[in-house]
Amino acid sequence: MRVETTRTAAPVRLQHACAVYSSSADLVEQATPVVAEAARRGEAVVLSVRPETEARLRDAAGSARVVALGAGTPARSSGQTTAARLARELRELTSQCGAVLAVSEHDSALDGIDGRYWTELDAAVNVALTDLPVSMFCFYPEMPLHSEILDGAIANHPLLFEAGRLHVNADHRPPRDVLAGMPAAPPVLLGAPDLDMVFSAWQLHEVRAAVADLAAATAFDTARSEDVVLAVNEIATNAVEHGSGEARIALWIAGDGLVAEIHDTGESLAEPLPGLRAPHPADPRGRGVWIARQLCDVLHVWRDRSGTHVRMHAAP
Amino acid sequence: MCAVPLSEEQLWEVSADFVADGLDRNERVLYFDDGTAEGVLNRLSDDHVAFERPLRTGQLAIVPPEATRAIFHTTLPEARAMMLEHIDGSTAAGYAGFRMTGQMSHGVDRQWPATFVEYDRELDRLVRERGITALCVYDRRRYSDEQIERMRDVHRKELSVPTAYDDGLLRVVRTGPTSARLAGEVDHSNRPAIARLLETTLDDALRSHSAPTDIELNLASLRFIDVASAVSLVHAAEGFPDTHRLVLIDVRPGVLRVLDRCGAPFAAQLTVREFEGSADGALRGPGPVAGSGRHAAGPGSTSGDGPSPGNDDTGRNNGYPDLREAR
Repeated sequence: MRVETTRTAAPVRLQHACAVYSSSADLVEQATPVVAEAARRGEAVVLSVRPETEARLRDAAGSARVVALGAGTPARSSGQTTAARLARELRELTSQCGAVLAVSEHDSALDGIDGRYWTELDAAVNVALTDLPVSMFCFYPEMPLHSEILDGAIANHPLLFEAGRLHVNADHRPPRDVLAGMPAAPPVLLGAPDLDMVFSAWQLHEVRAAVADLAAATAFDTARSEDVVLAVNEIATNAVEHGSGEARIALWIAGDGLVAEIHDTGESLAEPLPGLRAPHPADPRGRGVWIARQLCDVLHVWRDRSGTHVRMHAAP
Repeated sequence: MCAVPLSEEQLWEVSADFVADGLDRNERVLYFDDGTAEGVLNRLSDDHVAFERPLRTGQLAIVPPEATRAIFHTTLPEARAMMLEHIDGSTAAGYAGFRMTGQMSHGVDRQWPATFVEYDRELDRLVRERGITALCVYDRRRYSDEQIERMRDVHRKELSVPTAYDDGLLRVVRTGPTSARLAGEVDHSNRPAIARLLETTLDDALRSHSAPTDIELNLASLRFIDVASAVSLVHAAEGFPDTHRLVLIDVRPGVLRVLDRCGAPFAAQLTVREFEGSADGALRGPGPVAGSGRHAAGPGSTSGDGPSPGNDDTGRNNGYPDLREAR
């Protein structure tokens, strides 16, 4: 068996900084020199900001390559899903053109009931983007509607951007600690499922058959259907392998695809945000959830006293 | 003759072999469907048997389930007359013979055992008088143990296939000293079976100097593989000694995608060959398909000394016949 280490000689690390703004004008004023400097270094600039901010920062970027990350399909208030998508896009971009500067702006439309989406997102960014040559500046308002947003932002960012300078944040804490205090929220409840079944390791094929049947009933083509079956199988396998041996699956089929929820009463996924980091080729574990995340449009893991829960959404 | 398959997978395997053998011998083949024809046809296409053209020309015909069930509602002389019509029809059409198989389990639901045994006796008479070939399949899902034992006793031959592993979800058949064929699905429940198979096969290959250095797994009928199993195949190949390779052949697109995502392209000692669908039978003609090697005996090449598929096995797969007769 091959023995390798995941460490590289000169590790590339994500630079993840938090900045606070008092107004939109203030944000633009703070971000402009950062963008201009990155453009001068020849870096690509990724923007996930409001349209007005985007126009101003595009000016600052000059001739540098600018990629705007629109809302796209909604991540359904799953911060970890947003981070996984961001990681996928940035991995591709950095492999093409090296270092990248990313600027993100808080959007209160995504706050949900208590704003913990942002805490989950930033924690997930720390995990998912860790090995990418990305400098990410996250702008948060001085006075968000939910004060937890700012508390979470301070805990999540290893760097603070203040008065035009980056410095180390003494209050930074690792993702696991942050999420222990503010775990990922359960998603919005759905109505009665189209199918609900309890399964063990010997019934995984029944789970697959149920998913395949539902997928066949909608617009999924063969390849997409097989991929969705694989994704659900991997999460279901985790639930019975590491959980209590028995788990429950609920399936919904709707116009915009298939939703699956898998519940187990154990600690099937030990990491708070599993499947965000690419598994090393020699590592037999962890690849299932990683692949499932790549195949689903949303994969949200949350935990409560009753166990571990995963909701997946896959569009055709 | 009869067969008692352990699983649906084996039922498809045995039936498909029987059908393919008939097509090879230029016989007319009648399949009495009652829910299994699709699986058998899928298996035929996995086996690269061109059945589309025989289906169009009528050499292979599938009796729909309603018609299959209706046989047991007709009287014995009527059923006999119908069969004779089929037999005479195939002779008139120039076929070398006539064979039939399929799902007759509807018959046992009615007045077991009297009617069912009578029908079977009548069929046996036709086999003796008219030289037709009939394969009766009794699987444990559709027949009780008592019924199977009773029917076994009234058949002269039983086909049995060497099985390395069969749990109803995954079926493994050894096809040579260092090759095997997988059919069904691999997941968390039966993953260790694959690991054991690879281990023993590699062990056999290493011990024998004459054994091939390629460990070959035919995955034509493998419909699902989970991530951990795909990873274990890749890791197994990486763990092989330099002299040996793991060769996966006839891999379906869905399984191929999983293997690709699990690092298969980066494993030096792993070769993956994609399944190339059998082109339309019209292009290739009936009978043997080039390169399949399984049903390579063309029409007319057999001695016709009895209704036994498998007696033209000489040279096939180094003495590991697909079908072996027991009893």
